[in-house]
Amino acid sequence: MTGPLAQLRALLGLRWQMARAPGARLATLVGGVVLAWLLVQAVRAGRGLDIALLATAIEVAPAAYAGFGLLAVLAPLTSGGGHLVPDDQLVAYPVRPVTHLLGGLLLAPLNLVWVSQLLLLAALTSCLTLGGSLLRGSVTTLAYVLAVTVLGQLAAWLLAGLSQSRGGRRLAGGTAAVAVGAVVVALQGRSAAGLLAGSPTADVVDGVIAGGDGHLTRWSVTTGLLLLFACVALGLGVVACRWALRRPGDLGGTLSGVRRRRSRPGALRSLVAVDRASVWRAPALRRAGLVLAVLPGLLAASAALPWSSLAVLPGLVAAGAALLFGVNAFALDAGGAVWLSSLPHDPLLGLWSKAVVLTETVLLAVVLAAVAGSTRSPGLPTAAELAALLCSAVLCTAVVVTLSLSASVRRPHRADLRGPRDAVAPPGALALASARLALPAGLVAVVLGTAGGTGVWWLPPAVTAAVLGLCAVSAARTVRSYTDTHVRARVVHIVAEG
Amino acid sequence: MPAPPVLLASGLVVQFGAVRAVGGFDLSVGAGSSVALVGRNGAGKSTTMRVLAGVLPPSAGSVQVAGHDAATDPAGVRAAVGYCPDVGGLIPRATPWEHLQLAARLRGMRHWHPRAHALLERFELSEAADRLTASFSHGMSRRLSVVLAAFHEPRLLLLDEPFDGVDPHGTDATLEVVAEARTAGAAVLVSTHLLELAVRACDEAVVLRGGRVVAAAPAAELAGAEGAQRYRALIG
Repeated sequence: MTGPLAQLRALLGLRWQMARAPGARLATLVGGVVLAWLLVQAVRAGRGLDIALLATAIEVAPAAYAGFGLLAVLAPLTSGGGHLVPDDQLVAYPVRPVTHLLGGLLLAPLNLVWVSQLLLLAALTSCLTLGGSLLRGSVTTLAYVLAVTVLGQLAAWLLAGLSQSRGGRRLAGGTAAVAVGAVVVALQGRSAAGLLAGSPTADVVDGVIAGGDGHLTRWSVTTGLLLLFACVALGLGVVACRWALRRPGDLGGTLSGVRRRRSRPGALRSLVAVDRASVWRAPALRRAGLVLAVLPGLLAASAALPWSSLAVLPGLVAAGAALLFGVNAFALDAGGAVWLSSLPHDPLLGLWSKAVVLTETVLLAVVLAAVAGSTRSPGLPTAAELAALLCSAVLCTAVVVTLSLSASVRRPHRADLRGPRDAVAPPGALALASARLALPAGLVAVVLGTAGGTGVWWLPPAVTAAVLGLCAVSAARTVRSYTDTHVRARVVHIVAEG
Repeated sequence: MPAPPVLLASGLVVQFGAVRAVGGFDLSVGAGSSVALVGRNGAGKSTTMRVLAGVLPPSAGSVQVAGHDAATDPAGVRAAVGYCPDVGGLIPRATPWEHLQLAARLRGMRHWHPRAHALLERFELSEAADRLTASFSHGMSRRLSVVLAAFHEPRLLLLDEPFDGVDPHGTDATLEVVAEARTAGAAVLVSTHLLELAVRACDEAVVLRGGRVVAAAPAAELAGAEGAQRYRALIG
């Protein structure tokens, strides 16, 4: 059997060859260049910081590092992925667990949140080492990034292993519930920034500053410990990965029967029931959906966002929720798409059904986050702020649903969604989709937040009505495209057979 | 006056870019008849089946199923057809019962429970009726696909590789379903690589090569070692 690095090279080569969509390879290369450019700009921005703000930067740095750590650990648990090549396509090959783990590590940067947080750390590192050695500070920061990213992979494989049995799933769910409860209790009377500032990341920040200032002993101890942590996590990750891959599993509980339900009246309701069950019964989607229902609201509540800022929240949550399955909604049917398209019904019902299930999923996540986030917002909102929040929830949902359905029709992918780490689309496609969703949804949310800040209550609804018109135009284009039998046949062929 | 054929395909062409998957397919299958579609891998059998099922639009030519034109009345064609696709064909996170429920709803069927139970029983799927099909073996998936195709007693039964990976009980059940459909006046088209089963299921066989029919003969002529030799010569 070849070594893990040789296997990794082979899988990367295969992944590269599989990127056959027009412009996919170019987009990957351009993405890499843009990321490098952004890193340089972040470092420059840190270097150009007003010296008067340095104390503030040092104060917030532990929270920023802790925030990155939190997201680096949680992202692989929620977003699925982690496979360079889908697992079911590799069953015949002796791929080592360490190859799987390293593949997941390589894919970690294909995550918009991970990248944006990395840029923040780059700017902070540059700022914390102002007038000193940026190189040494960067080494410490990179060691930290590596350590927490490996930790994320370890946690993800551990969860994947636990998910193979009912007892394991209960243990994981119980642990998550206890963790959420602990955070809620810890937040009583304290802010999230205050909690994060007291985290061990303060020592990491000290190490970065020591590197910049030339205190080599302190710097080398911190950096060395981080690298040691990364190595230990890597070793444990390999063990967890091997354990997870070897567990026979109960196919996420699919071997036991499910409760039989009465037939729904109407074709659309019947299709919606099947699609809804397809989401809820996919282990990866179920877990990510539960996290999405809790985490954004918890974070927003912990930050005690003012009412004026809450309108931004739906943009981020809606984009995340649509990434669950929305950007490749027809993958829910998988091989069944061929059979479904042989049944006598209006083909548009299939599209409407996906739209309904996606809308309710996104809207539920947005409402939960907004309600939870508002529980700790100080004071009462003005009419304009309330209008902005409500409009943001509706409009961000409409924007991401419209964009997702368009992507589902134009760029379908085959996705198995059987395993606990399966994702709805290949890693690169998912990263691109997250940018395509997050940018417009975020922009719309910011515009509505600004409109709410003006104090004019009718401004947010007016903006919403205008953008909803654009959504309707886009949706009509998608419907027109989907009514073309050749387009539908292509979607069916790809989601069923790849 | 002879009854019109249930399936009438003429000059059927399916083109994928520069590749011609089906190139001028002609076939007529009457009520109560069963025809085996045989040929090498890539001969265009499954693509032809998909067009006949209304899943894939033809690039040229015409298809009439039970009097419905596939170009102008695709919904009518799909209502008349029962189709078992060659691969997959099942929604992975739905149960067999949910598949049947959905099919009954979309086909407007009433009082379908006895038929559903009987078919599940015949194909030994009753105990798995409430399990997600993602956990099914290949053979179980094939059997369920045949159940779904035959469920509404279609005028045209299209079975693409129905015997692939299926145990003898499932094979017998499929042969029974084919025989019953014929007795009820349906036309049956079976695509398979298993020549002996094609001979048992059908009374005619057409050989496809390069997406067109190169030979047609009574299925019995392809039986035995001599038939197999003849078949090899035909498929090239």
